[in-house]
Amino acid sequence: MDLTALPIAEVTDEGVKGAGKAIALGVGAGLGSIGAGIGVGFIFGKEIESVARQPEMKSELESIRWLGFALTEAVAFYTFIFGLIAFFLS
Amino acid sequence: MSGMSTKRKVLFGFGIYLATAIALLLIFGSDGKNDHFKPQNEFKLDEWVPIHLGGLDLSINKAVLYLVIASALTIATMTWIARRMAEKPNRVQTAVELAYDLTRNNITGGNMDPRLAARWFPFLGALFFFIWFSNMIGFLPLPVNTEHTVDIFGLELPALAIYAATANISIPLILTLVVWFSYHVEGIRAKGFMPYFKSWLPPGLEEMNPIGRGAIFMIEVISHFVRLISLSVRLFANILAGHLLLLFMGGGLAVLLGIAALGALTFPLAFAFFIFEVGLVATLQAFIFATLTAIYIGGATSAEH
Repeated sequence: MDLTALPIAEVTDEGVKGAGKAIALGVGAGLGSIGAGIGVGFIFGKEIESVARQPEMKSELESIRWLGFALTEAVAFYTFIFGLIAFFLS
Repeated sequence: MSGMSTKRKVLFGFGIYLATAIALLLIFGSDGKNDHFKPQNEFKLDEWVPIHLGGLDLSINKAVLYLVIASALTIATMTWIARRMAEKPNRVQTAVELAYDLTRNNITGGNMDPRLAARWFPFLGALFFFIWFSNMIGFLPLPVNTEHTVDIFGLELPALAIYAATANISIPLILTLVVWFSYHVEGIRAKGFMPYFKSWLPPGLEEMNPIGRGAIFMIEVISHFVRLISLSVRLFANILAGHLLLLFMGGGLAVLLGIAALGALTFPLAFAFFIFEVGLVATLQAFIFATLTAIYIGGATSAEH
């Protein structure tokens, strides 16, 4: 695809370019962590609920909890990394 | 001080923390944005020993050094512990036995049947320990920063820097590719070529028309390819983001923006993030990588979807 056909590639002003990069990083790191934050809170909340109902399941739930935590937490870092790439490497 | 309640002590400490930052802001002010410092160069790979074979760049650089250290540490500590196994284990042996037990019974044994677990345990155990060592040495400052040198008695020594083999996308990607191909090969070996690909379809679709089944099969194909990205980027992004946070909190942000007061505010946070990264993320990412590998291999070979 020819990038110069898109209006975004015509931006030559340094200030506008910098603002765009800053927005990319802000949206990437900021909005990305909202979703992951809700997800991580949900996992720990549900785990507390389950252990309160069935305390004998505590040891079995432990590894599942960390698995869920790490899978969800990684989502925040995906957006963070792409924000950083937009900010520093473009 | 002894008469103060905990709440007041916390408020007092927080007040000192803020006052230091405000005092520094008043004394030094802002030096304006620093265009000289480029944080991305902290992760740049300088060629130490250039090796070029045709179009291939096989130069020795920072990442290669960390890769070698991590592999050597993994092999050396594990064989050393195995050689000096004692009836009464000391603390190191107990810790390693706990980790061994985790990889054997929890990660491998919990996700595949016993015959497969016996075959794949060495690979998964090695994967776990290699990633763990690689993540952990990433948080030790080593003299590897050849871009900024420190002058000590006329000797040009590289500055201390943190880096990890897993903070470079190529190493997690290679590990992921090995995992990806091995679980497909294991699935084909267990079920046969066509039945393996047929087993990607979720059960209960026998009544569906071929076009709908084809569409669902395409979604499954995409999901298998997305595993390549998600498994590698998860490890890489977690470690890279951890290092970046430490770099920025430990003073990088203050230098970049030229505000000394910001350094006083962020520096205590660097300790908090360091504890979080070393205590949780480094081990958790090694655990996740090995567990997901076990789940993929177990899923590819199990009879039901």
